[in-house]
Amino acid sequence: MVNIVIIGGGWAGCAAALAAKQAGAQVLLLEKTDMLLGLGNVGGIMRNNGRYTAAEEMINLGAGKLFDITDRAARHTMVEFPGHSHASLYDVTKVEPMVRRLLREMGVEIRFMARAIDVIKKGNSIKGILMADDTVIEGDVFIETTGSTGPMGNCLKYGNGCAMCILRCPSFGPRTSISQRAGVEDILGQRGDECYGAFSGSCKLNKDSLSDEIREKLDRDGVAVLKVPAEDIKMEKLSVKVCQQYALREYAENVVLLDTGHAKLMTSYYPLEDLRKIPGLENARYEDPYSGGKGNSVRYLSMAPRNNSMKVDGLENLLCGGEKSGLFVGHTEAITTGSLAGHNSVRLALGMPLLELPRNLVTGDIIAYANEQIKHKDGLKKRYTFAGAEYFERMKERKMYTIDKKEIERRVSRMDLTDIFNEKLV
Amino acid sequence: MIGRKLECIDAGSEYCPCFLAEANECITCSHLQGKEFCDCNWRGVCIYQEYVWAGNRKKGVRGSYPAAVVEKRDVSQNTFVYKLRVTKTLARQLDSPGAYVFMRDKEKPSFFDVPMSVMAVDAVKGEIQVALQVQGAKTKALAEPEKGIIIRGPYWNGILGQRYLKGVKNGNCLVIARGIGQAPAAKVAGYLVRSGNKVRVIVDPGKVGAVFIGDLIKDLPCEVEELDLNSRQGIKVVKRYLKNENHDLVFSGGSDKQHLHIIKEIDKLAQKPFIVVTNNNEICCGEGICGSCSTRIDSGVRVKACKVQLDVRRVIERRILNG
Repeated sequence: MVNIVIIGGGWAGCAAALAAKQAGAQVLLLEKTDMLLGLGNVGGIMRNNGRYTAAEEMINLGAGKLFDITDRAARHTMVEFPGHSHASLYDVTKVEPMVRRLLREMGVEIRFMARAIDVIKKGNSIKGILMADDTVIEGDVFIETTGSTGPMGNCLKYGNGCAMCILRCPSFGPRTSISQRAGVEDILGQRGDECYGAFSGSCKLNKDSLSDEIREKLDRDGVAVLKVPAEDIKMEKLSVKVCQQYALREYAENVVLLDTGHAKLMTSYYPLEDLRKIPGLENARYEDPYSGGKGNSVRYLSMAPRNNSMKVDGLENLLCGGEKSGLFVGHTEAITTGSLAGHNSVRLALGMPLLELPRNLVTGDIIAYANEQIKHKDGLKKRYTFAGAEYFERMKERKMYTIDKKEIERRVSRMDLTDIFNEKLV
Repeated sequence: MIGRKLECIDAGSEYCPCFLAEANECITCSHLQGKEFCDCNWRGVCIYQEYVWAGNRKKGVRGSYPAAVVEKRDVSQNTFVYKLRVTKTLARQLDSPGAYVFMRDKEKPSFFDVPMSVMAVDAVKGEIQVALQVQGAKTKALAEPEKGIIIRGPYWNGILGQRYLKGVKNGNCLVIARGIGQAPAAKVAGYLVRSGNKVRVIVDPGKVGAVFIGDLIKDLPCEVEELDLNSRQGIKVVKRYLKNENHDLVFSGGSDKQHLHIIKEIDKLAQKPFIVVTNNNEICCGEGICGSCSTRIDSGVRVKACKVQLDVRRVIERRILNG
């Protein structure tokens, strides 16, 4: 029996849990709050630009279960908005219970309000995870998917203070960097001005607080683009954002709203008084973060050095995924890195060689590319996502971007990797 | 594992952040230890945030107040109990197990301050009770105060293991108290009873020579027994209870030596109960500043015992067994 313990139940942790389970392990998923998906509870954008290619690759690799859920929970598909094509927007109010049910049906044990605070080590190997209630959870291999956001002190020092986001640190306690606790120093992302961290890139407005006209447009089209009054256009705001795929001129001159159940406002934060100057938003109020008028969560403050099989350098039995594993943005990227970490955890426990996804798949290339870039100072200021900015340009240049499902199926099959994540190893 | 995180009893209270934060010596917050990033274990509103919001300064400082003596009751030749009138607010703040105050004769300078466990609280009347055993200059001065008493508080770290004390519900608990260690035990027994626990109390008059918490626990639904814990009979009885009663929590009020004996007995049990003990470190200022309570835990780290909720095994075993 192989025991895999995953710390952090966001998209990456859920993907790791599924992949480890599919490979035949006994899986325990620890989550510090009372909900899975973490920031995925306030996200929602899938399949935009190169994420379409990546999602289809993952489906062909045998890690399609979570994409099946986000597809089924989609409120809108094939949405076009500035700089982005064929996006699919999942309903944030539906997706978490669906994932929770799937994991339980698959036999993943989930512990909520279970916060890891430290590790017990023997040599370079982790023996157990010390929990906030003083218990120790042992396992063969551990996967850290604790993300890189917060806690409050970081959001204050490198942002505008706690904005009361979905992570709810004051209620559920701070994030702990497991790798750092195990003696492996964190890598930190920077933003344009070389300050550490970056703001989360979007907020959520309460849809009922918008004008009937905008609400109807969102329900119908999934997107609404509203002009920002000339005096409020702030180009410099784009440089502090995480989501460089949305750091475009259009996003400074307009507010872009997407319908993900709430109205997703594609900017880090926006003073409420100014927001209410925009026609149709006279009564607007924030849904997430609650203080979206003032700030947002600060991210990329805790990444572990790793290899392209997602194993953390310097530790024998710790893997990582999601934002913990690099300057990645988005659910698709988290599911990709998480799935690989989950699958490899079982290989590691069995002493098998670890899987590296080949660089002629976008999923393999982004994992390797982000790892190369993180070693340079300039690379630490960038973010890596299939959806835009530098990496999407690279996909296009290398002719890897496609939405032709047959072609993607062919690419995966040519590598002889079809359904690899579905193979039982134990 | 790099340096265990310490738990400060004052974290999140109206006295947090404190002087230590201003000195970059905060027990909880890594930013307020001069580090660049978060690495804490505090579950609540961020201490660093509170510090910045307070204008990069500490918050409230505990005050010193005159306390009128309502009653002085002699317990034995060297021990007596004061009932003191304080503000209702202070009484309410002190109404928890492990609470203590500093006291001194009003005529004496502030270095006569001596810490005393709060034995009982009447928050409606604004009264507290403390028991004093005369031992040195400070307590002697308090036995016959010329012009009344000054108290400073509230402080809370009189008992180590408070998270267990507050966490055990509907369980089975054993409270053992000897000598002046009876004083904090009364509130512990009351607290455990209110949490639905079945409680057995063993009291040893010890060097005080009398049981003085009888009135405070007589109405509690717990079994009370008087024993000489140092006699062969006493040791046998305690061992028997520990072995047969499957406790969820054991409280020891008394010396470090007593704590250690009980820990050793507990270590022999299959199901180990939580251990809660009186904090016997020599507390002098209560604010983590003076250094008199500074103690080393097994990892060699120095901690301020007046503020840190220490793991009793880690501190006592080091102090007694390893000198």
